[in-house]
Amino acid sequence: MIRRPALLVLLAVLTLLAGNTPAWAHKMKVFATAEGTTIAGYAYFGSGGRAMQAKVTVVGADGAPVYEGVTDDQGRFAFNAMRRMDHVVTVDGGDGHMAIYTVTAAELPESLPAAGTTGAAPTAAAPASSPAAIEADLRMVVDESVARHVRPLREQLDAYQEKIWLHDVIGGIGYILGLSGLAFGWASRRQTGKGRP
Amino acid sequence: MAHIPDGVVSLPVLAVGVVVTVAGCAHALKRLPPERIPQVAILSAVFFVAALVHFPVGPSSVHLILNGLIGVMLGWAAFPAILVALLLQAVLFGFGGVVVLGLNVMNVAVPAVLCGLLFEAVHLRSAGKPRRSAVAAGLCGALGVLLTVLAVALSLAASGREFVPAAKLIVFTHVPVMVIEAAFTGAAVGLVLRVKPDFLARSGEPAAEEGVA
Repeated sequence: MIRRPALLVLLAVLTLLAGNTPAWAHKMKVFATAEGTTIAGYAYFGSGGRAMQAKVTVVGADGAPVYEGVTDDQGRFAFNAMRRMDHVVTVDGGDGHMAIYTVTAAELPESLPAAGTTGAAPTAAAPASSPAAIEADLRMVVDESVARHVRPLREQLDAYQEKIWLHDVIGGIGYILGLSGLAFGWASRRQTGKGRP
Repeated sequence: MAHIPDGVVSLPVLAVGVVVTVAGCAHALKRLPPERIPQVAILSAVFFVAALVHFPVGPSSVHLILNGLIGVMLGWAAFPAILVALLLQAVLFGFGGVVVLGLNVMNVAVPAVLCGLLFEAVHLRSAGKPRRSAVAAGLCGALGVLLTVLAVALSLAASGREFVPAAKLIVFTHVPVMVIEAAFTGAAVGLVLRVKPDFLARSGEPAAEEGVA
């Protein structure tokens, strides 16, 4: 049969095409971190492009909406957190792509009031030069610095989760061929069974 | 985008997807002769890998669908081929989802079958004019993508999104895909028709006695 090899060649070509560049899952993802009280992030596609003009909705741990906006041309968004609670960021691309990411309360500075309390974030409680205030400032600076340095690592991890390995592709193809073999065997057995007098 | 992830569409839409997919697969499997199974498997694998070929278009990102090609080559058997491929994509790559699988299969396979039927109609009247069939196949390649993205927009609309902006966005971003697939499908079918025309027969029998059933 001349057909099989041609199709197999086609299949091989497609696989190589797909497996040659590092294949990333074609999904929209959103990444966000807290730096100080600002939560900033961006929405992107596993294959590398940024999701522009996508709708961003942020809901707090109490279910109340915290922020609604649109990503800019770099797929970025940012807003100020008022409370120290989990923020659930949902990005909607409008064409069926959707991504969710939760920024945990632990990432936000302790100076923010916890969820459920009323009142705005407290202003400096101690005079600027007292040791307690200096220590608090120092702690905040260190936190922000560490967050900034860890951020690229987390971004890489986030994107890495979606990497498609060649062995995944080969595994999938293997399953398809295996299933078809089973189906073929079963169908043949049925036919032979019917053919017997 | 052709693979809708879990959590985007509402329950009634999901249910419709499951029912249509199950019915389509049942119908296809009943009339699938065992000799055609290897071809179905290979085309299912082609479809499986095709979704990995993606590129950014405008604000979004799209991938090859190839359901026109599958429909033209397999007819009704496109249903199980696409079901298996989409299931594996969901499980192995995280494309789409398992809950929304019925809906995704419906959105891709129904246009595929329609294209297959359309192509059959043209092909039967084009004996001796393989060029015409190849062109028809190319148009079916583009049509398959178009119908699928419209179906996706409809699914989103039925779940509460606005249809027109979503449809415009999805159709616009998939125009390059339609062009590529039209060329690819036309070329592939042209080649097949030149080398082994029986491949397109819906049953295992040679093309001469094939009828549209």
